[in-house]
Amino acid sequence: MAKTTGTFKSPRARAFVAAWWPIAAALPALWVLRAALPSGERSYYLQIALLCGCNAIAAVSLNLVNGATGQFSLGHAGFMAVGGYTAATLLHAISPDQLSISIPLFVLVLLLAGGAAAVAGYAVGKPSLRLRGDYLAIVTLGFGEIIRVVIENTPFLGGATGLSGISMPADAFWIGLAVFATILTIRRLMLSTHGRAFLAVREDEVAAQAMGVDTTGYKVRAFVISAFFAGIAGALLGGLYHNLSPKSFTFVKSIEVVAMVVLGGLGSVTGSVVAAVLLTLLPEVLRPLQEATGLDFRMTLYSMTLILLMLFRPEGLLGQREVWDLWKKRRARREAAPAATDAEPIVRVEHATLRFGGLTAVSDFNLTLKAGELVALIGPNGAGKTTVFNLLTGVYPPSEGRILVGGRSTQGLAPHEISALGLARTFQNIRLFKQLTAFDNVRIACHGKARESMAGAVRRSARALSEEAWIAERAEEFLEVLGLAHRRDELAKNLPYGEQRRLEIARALASGPRVLLLDEPAAGMNASETASLMETVRGIRDRFGLAIFLIEHDMKLVMGISERILVLDHGVIIAEGAPKAIVQDPKVIEAYLGAASEDAA
Amino acid sequence: MIELLQHLVNGLSVGAIYALIALGYTMVYGVLQLINFANGDVLMVGAMMGYYVASWTGEGRHPTYGGAALILISSMAMCGVLGFLIERFAYRPLRDRPRINSLITAIGVSFLLEYGGQLVFKPGPYSFEIAPYQLPMNVGGLYVSWSDAITLGLAFALMLVLQWIVYRTKIGMAMRAISHDPRIAALMGVNVDFVISFTFVLGSVLAAAAGVLYGMKYHRVDPLMGLLPGLKAFVAAVLGGIGNVPGAMAGGILLGLVEELVAGYTSSSFRDAIAFGILILVLLVRPSGLFGKTVVEKV
Repeated sequence: MAKTTGTFKSPRARAFVAAWWPIAAALPALWVLRAALPSGERSYYLQIALLCGCNAIAAVSLNLVNGATGQFSLGHAGFMAVGGYTAATLLHAISPDQLSISIPLFVLVLLLAGGAAAVAGYAVGKPSLRLRGDYLAIVTLGFGEIIRVVIENTPFLGGATGLSGISMPADAFWIGLAVFATILTIRRLMLSTHGRAFLAVREDEVAAQAMGVDTTGYKVRAFVISAFFAGIAGALLGGLYHNLSPKSFTFVKSIEVVAMVVLGGLGSVTGSVVAAVLLTLLPEVLRPLQEATGLDFRMTLYSMTLILLMLFRPEGLLGQREVWDLWKKRRARREAAPAATDAEPIVRVEHATLRFGGLTAVSDFNLTLKAGELVALIGPNGAGKTTVFNLLTGVYPPSEGRILVGGRSTQGLAPHEISALGLARTFQNIRLFKQLTAFDNVRIACHGKARESMAGAVRRSARALSEEAWIAERAEEFLEVLGLAHRRDELAKNLPYGEQRRLEIARALASGPRVLLLDEPAAGMNASETASLMETVRGIRDRFGLAIFLIEHDMKLVMGISERILVLDHGVIIAEGAPKAIVQDPKVIEAYLGAASEDAA
Repeated sequence: MIELLQHLVNGLSVGAIYALIALGYTMVYGVLQLINFANGDVLMVGAMMGYYVASWTGEGRHPTYGGAALILISSMAMCGVLGFLIERFAYRPLRDRPRINSLITAIGVSFLLEYGGQLVFKPGPYSFEIAPYQLPMNVGGLYVSWSDAITLGLAFALMLVLQWIVYRTKIGMAMRAISHDPRIAALMGVNVDFVISFTFVLGSVLAAAAGVLYGMKYHRVDPLMGLLPGLKAFVAAVLGGIGNVPGAMAGGILLGLVEELVAGYTSSSFRDAIAFGILILVLLVRPSGLFGKTVVEKV
C-alpha cells in the first residue's frame, strides 16, 4: 500500500507513514463526504447505503472465520446482537434522556460493544472450536439462537419487543470509518504471518501444527476478532434504525451474512464487501415488484443465490482474490541471501513405548541424533516407522519412556510447541496447504520464528514490516535450495508430484529446525528423481548442519546416503549400525527376506 | 405423580416425532456425511400437503380411516418425490466437492423451501383441525388424545419398518456399505447413485409422516413450521450418534422427554433453547453421541 515514501529518510519514519497513510487519507475524505450530504432527515438512499456499510462489516468479519480460517460459523447474528444490545444499554445508561452523546463517549461505547461481542466470541469459540465443519456450524447456530432466546426473555433488554429510542451518530462518517477500519484491520492481518496461520488452519490442521501453528489458538483468535467487528456492526445497526429487536438477529440474519461471504468468495475481503452491497441492494431494487405482488422475495433470492453459486461458481465472485488483483498481476521479486544455521546435539529418545489399547505399536525405542548426522529408519510395511515419527513430533504422546529435544522433555507439549523446539517433518501422504502458493506454504513455516504481534501487523509497525521482509527472503531461499524458485507463485496443488515432495521439504526447512524428519521422501519417485532428491537431502544436511532422520522402505536407497541405519520390525528395533553391518545382519535379512514381497511395495 | 405421567406421555409423543425426523438426518449423514438441513422443510411440505388433502376430502369434518390413510400416503408420496429431486439436482452435482459446499447448498435448499413455501402457500398459519383425533380423552386422570396415540403407534411402526429395511434387506446392506466407503461399495457392484437416492426418499417419507403428525399435534401448519422441529431432530440425531439408526430413535425420544420435563417444571419460554443446550453439551462432552464411535484422523 505504501508507495510515495521517498521523501522520508529514516526507515522508522517511512514505516510510520506506510502504516498510517490510509487512515490519514480516509478521515478527511469521510469528513468531506458527510459534509457534502444534505443534513436533516436521512434520505432513503443514504439509509440503504449505510445499511450496506453495516452489512459489509458483518460480512468482512465473518469472512475471517468462514473464509480465511475455514471454520463454519452460523451464529454471527448472535454476536451482532450482543454488540447491539451492549451499545444500546450503555447509551441508555449514559444519557437516559436520549440526547446526543459526546464523540469520545460514542467511540468508547462502540469499542465496548465490540469488546462484549468479543468476550461472547471467546466464550462460544473456546469450547466449540474443537469441532469441525458441520458440527461447528450447528453448534454456533445453537449458540446464536441461545443468545437470542436469552435476550427475548430478559425484560431488562426489552424482551421480545426490543429496545427503541437508540440515539447515536451512526452517520456516513462513523459507519464509513468503521467499514474502513474493519477492512484495513482484517486485510493487514491476512497479509501478515498471522494471516498465513489462519490460512494454514483452513488448509490442513495437522500440517499447520507441524509447522508450529497453534491451530486452536488461531481458531479462537479468528472467532474473537470476528465477533468484535460483528458487535460493532450490531451496534451501528441499532443506531441506524434507532431500535433493536431480537427478531433482527435470528438464524436468518446469520444466513444472510453467510450468503454475502459465500457470494463474495470465501477468503476475499473485498469480495465480501461487494457481495454485502449487492445483496443489500437486491431486495431494494426488487421492492416495486414486491409491493406489486405483495410477496417477500428476499429470502427466496438469498437461498437461490446460495444454491446456484454452489452448483456453478462455488468460489464466489472473487474466489480468494481481492478486487485489485483483478487489474494487476503479482510482481515477482527475486533475491537470494546466504544463510547458515548452527545446530547442536539434539534428540534423545529413551525407552519410548506406544500402546494403542492392547496393541504395542512401538516398544522400547531408543535414539540419539547429533547435529549433522544423517540417520535412516527402515523396516518392512507396518513396522511402525511413521508411528515413531508421530511419537517424536507429539502427534501421539508415548505411553512410556521419554523424548528429549534439545535437552527438554516433550512431555505434555502440543505438536506446534514441539515444532518450536526445532523439530520439523514431512508427511508420507503429502500434506501441503494445497490452495496456497508454494511461496506461502514456505512462509507459513516461518510462523514459529515470527514475533510480530497481531496489533503490530495491523498497525504495520516497523518491526512487523522488517519481519515480513525477512520471512519473504527466507522463504525464497528455501525454495531456491530445493530448486523450486521458478514455482514460487504456483498453487501447491498444481505442482507435479516430485516437486510437491520437495516443497514439503522446503516448508519443513523454513520452520528453522535442528532436526529434519523425512517420511518416505522418495515415495512414488522414479530412480533418477530419487537419486537427485537424495543428493539434495545430503546438500541440505551439509549446508545447514541439521540432523536428518529419514524413513525409507528401500534399503538400497538409504545405503548410499546414511551414516547409521535403524531397522524396525513389529515396533521393535532389531538392528542398528553402519549400512555395511546392517546388510549382513541375519535378523535384518530375515525380516526383509521373510517378507520379500513387501520390500517392493 | 399424575403430572409427571402426563409430561411423560406428552414428551413421548413429541419425542416419537423427533425420532422420525432424526432418522432422515442420520441416514443421509450415514451415506453422504451431509447434514441435510432441508429435512425439516420436507416435513413442512408433508404437513402442508396433509393440510390440503384434508381440506379437499373434508377429513376435518367427516373423518374416516380411508381419509386419514389418504392424507398420510399422499403426503409421504409427495415428499418422497421432493426428496428425490433435492438430492438429484442440488446435492448430487456437489458430491465430489468439498463438504462445506454441500452444507451451504443444504442451507440454501432449506431456505428455498421455507420462503419459496411462503410464496406458494402464503404465510399462513393454517389451522389443521381434525377434531375427533385431537380431542383429549381422560384415561385414568391422564389426558391423551387420539392423535398422541396415533403418533406413537405410527412412529413405532415406521421405525420397525426402517429397522427392517436397513438391517434385513439387500438395499439396507448397500446403504450400510456406502456409509463405510462409497468407492469400495461401488467397486463391489453397489449402484451408489440409486442407493443414495433411495436413502433420501426414505428419509423424506419419514419426515412427511412426521409433518402430518406434528401438524395434527399442534393443530396448525405454516411454511416456516419445519425449521424448529428440524433443528431439534438434528440435535436428536447427534445425541444418539449421527449415522446410527437406533441411536436416532433413542435420541429423538430422549430429547422429547427431556424437553417436556425441563419445560414443564421450569419456565417454558426457554423451551427452544433446551435442545441447543443439550446439543452443545453432547458435542463438547461426547461428540460421537451416546451410541456413536469416535474416529481418529490418521496422520
